[in-house]
Amino acid sequence: MLERELAIVLRARLTWLQAALSALLVGHGFVLAVDLYSAGSRSVAGARLMAREFDPLLGVVRPTLGGLYLAVSLLGPLVAARALAVEKERRTFRALLLQTGRPLGLVAAKSLAALAGVALQLVAPLVLLAVWRLAGGHLAAAETATALLGYALYVAMVAAIAVAAAAWTETLAQAATLAVLVVAASWAIDASEGFAALAWLGRALDWSVTTHLYPMERGTLAVGACLWMTAVVGGALAAAYVGVRVDLAWPKRGATLAAVLATTLVAAALAHRVRRGFDTTELRRGSLPPAAARQLAALPGSITLDVYLDRDDARRRQLESDVLAKLRLARPDLEVRMPTDEQADATEAGRDEGYGRVVVHAGGGTRETRSTSRREIVSLIFEAAGYQLPDWSQPEYPGYPLVIAGGRRRAVVVSAYLGIPLAPLVVGFILTRSKGRS
Amino acid sequence: MSGLVVEGLSVERGRRRVLDRVSLGLAPGEIVAVIGPNGAGKSSLLEAILGFLPVAAGRVTFEGRALGDLASRARVFSFLPEEAEPPAEVRVSTLLAHAERFGRPPDGLAAALLERLGLGPLAGARAGELSRGEKRRVALFAALATGRPVLVLDEPLGVFDPLQLEDVLAVLRARARAGTALLLSVHQMSDAEKIASRVLVLDAGRMVAFGPLAELRARVGRADASLEDIFIALLRAGTHARA
Repeated sequence: MLERELAIVLRARLTWLQAALSALLVGHGFVLAVDLYSAGSRSVAGARLMAREFDPLLGVVRPTLGGLYLAVSLLGPLVAARALAVEKERRTFRALLLQTGRPLGLVAAKSLAALAGVALQLVAPLVLLAVWRLAGGHLAAAETATALLGYALYVAMVAAIAVAAAAWTETLAQAATLAVLVVAASWAIDASEGFAALAWLGRALDWSVTTHLYPMERGTLAVGACLWMTAVVGGALAAAYVGVRVDLAWPKRGATLAAVLATTLVAAALAHRVRRGFDTTELRRGSLPPAAARQLAALPGSITLDVYLDRDDARRRQLESDVLAKLRLARPDLEVRMPTDEQADATEAGRDEGYGRVVVHAGGGTRETRSTSRREIVSLIFEAAGYQLPDWSQPEYPGYPLVIAGGRRRAVVVSAYLGIPLAPLVVGFILTRSKGRS
Repeated sequence: MSGLVVEGLSVERGRRRVLDRVSLGLAPGEIVAVIGPNGAGKSSLLEAILGFLPVAAGRVTFEGRALGDLASRARVFSFLPEEAEPPAEVRVSTLLAHAERFGRPPDGLAAALLERLGLGPLAGARAGELSRGEKRRVALFAALATGRPVLVLDEPLGVFDPLQLEDVLAVLRARARAGTALLLSVHQMSDAEKIASRVLVLDAGRMVAFGPLAELRARVGRADASLEDIFIALLRAGTHARA
């Protein structure tokens, strides 16, 4: 069955056009990232301390994959939904369902074909990262693989959601619109981040794709994020299965869909609570110093932080991306409360004297600070628990500044804007061209 | 009765009843043509029998067993939807192999169909490169290359020229001779007349008549009437009766 389904996707011009457009978008992000990285690198020649800041994962890999996120979100649904929607538009769907007699097999084959079509978008960033290496850039395998894994799961998510949308609609336009709306819901949630006035949307951040991609992009293999995306994929495929069962009466299909969606929500919510993560970054720079991380993990009792900072406060964002992420790697059971999110007047005008505090509860003790420094907060955790701060030394990340200029830059630009986007068009032309009939 | 039995099938769309207590039997080797004006409910009847439309009343059995779920229907029916077009990107050879794999036709049937439908020379082409008639022949192959006992074909004859039509009718007759039951919806009366062993006349979702051509001729009182004459007479009589 797969051969037929793969042909529908891989011999369609649309599939290769989306791969080319995605490659162009990703390539643009890559060139901008390389230029910015190069410009910064020029100014640090000989300055070891500044060189440390030049991290290819954050400086090149992440912006490159940012373009991929946009392309997968907007173009992926069209290609993936088409795998099933064309059967409905060409009126072959019901015959196919009866012919195979296996709706589960049909959904599996359609989903695999859809995945293959959208996954073509992953080729461009892979090639661009190879170009970066060829140009002399540094890449650490494990952390890059973790970031790519996050995006591969996102590709699977978009493909599954689009197949489900096609299963519940009658045309490609309807299916693609529905799938894009579902995917874009995550953007709406992300848009609320950083706005105190939208604090009421705070809990919705648990349902944002970006929230789950974020640690992966930074080299943390977040088990909860992987499970969350897998739960969404599973839920979408189950919804697709119910959708193709046009032989079932509407009330039964509707009730089953409701049950599937409810189960998916519960599974995703449970997955989101899994805080376990593995730092795959080079020299474990995503973690606290090894001795501190080890002793923090062994610290008895629970650790709770009350952070009195609004969502639009830069200190809170810095705290979340640095201190809290590192603390959670050492202590997945860390509880963080944000009391300001619960306030009705969560705006600058509503801030009181207690604003800006970080209150640490550990081992029965409580400490308070207004600093968001990593070392300060970890010190207070040990202090509250009645322990000394362990050795704070950490292997030094050297940083990898790199200036790509002249001929190498021209080669990068030609690859990103011309070579890599053209390749799918050429392959697509070969695969989809009419050879005429004998 | 052995074979397919449809009893009192009613289908509603919203508040509108599109099929009203339609009953029919289809024995092995028999060809029943469903005719009726546009919107009479021909396709709805076929889809309801196949389980793709929720029925308000009635049941469908095969060899005395109720056909409840998709799996049981997939063991009995093979289906050619109206105006179905094979996926344009897929090679004809892949489509034929796919049909054979899932249809599990008896030995020799696929090869015979391939020859009778003239599909051999098209095997290397993609479905999108075929003419309308060729696409329909590929779709017909997919429906006919099966060991399933009942073939349900929605408007299978509409796109063929007279020469092609003769070939296709011969193929359908051969399938019936081999013991397969065929239920077809047919728009052209002359086509139905050529092939049907019994004719079911539908109008506004109701069964106006069902029987062999001779029986229908007797009913309208014209021994030489064509199916088209019978159709017009029955519908006019029905219209007058309703008025």
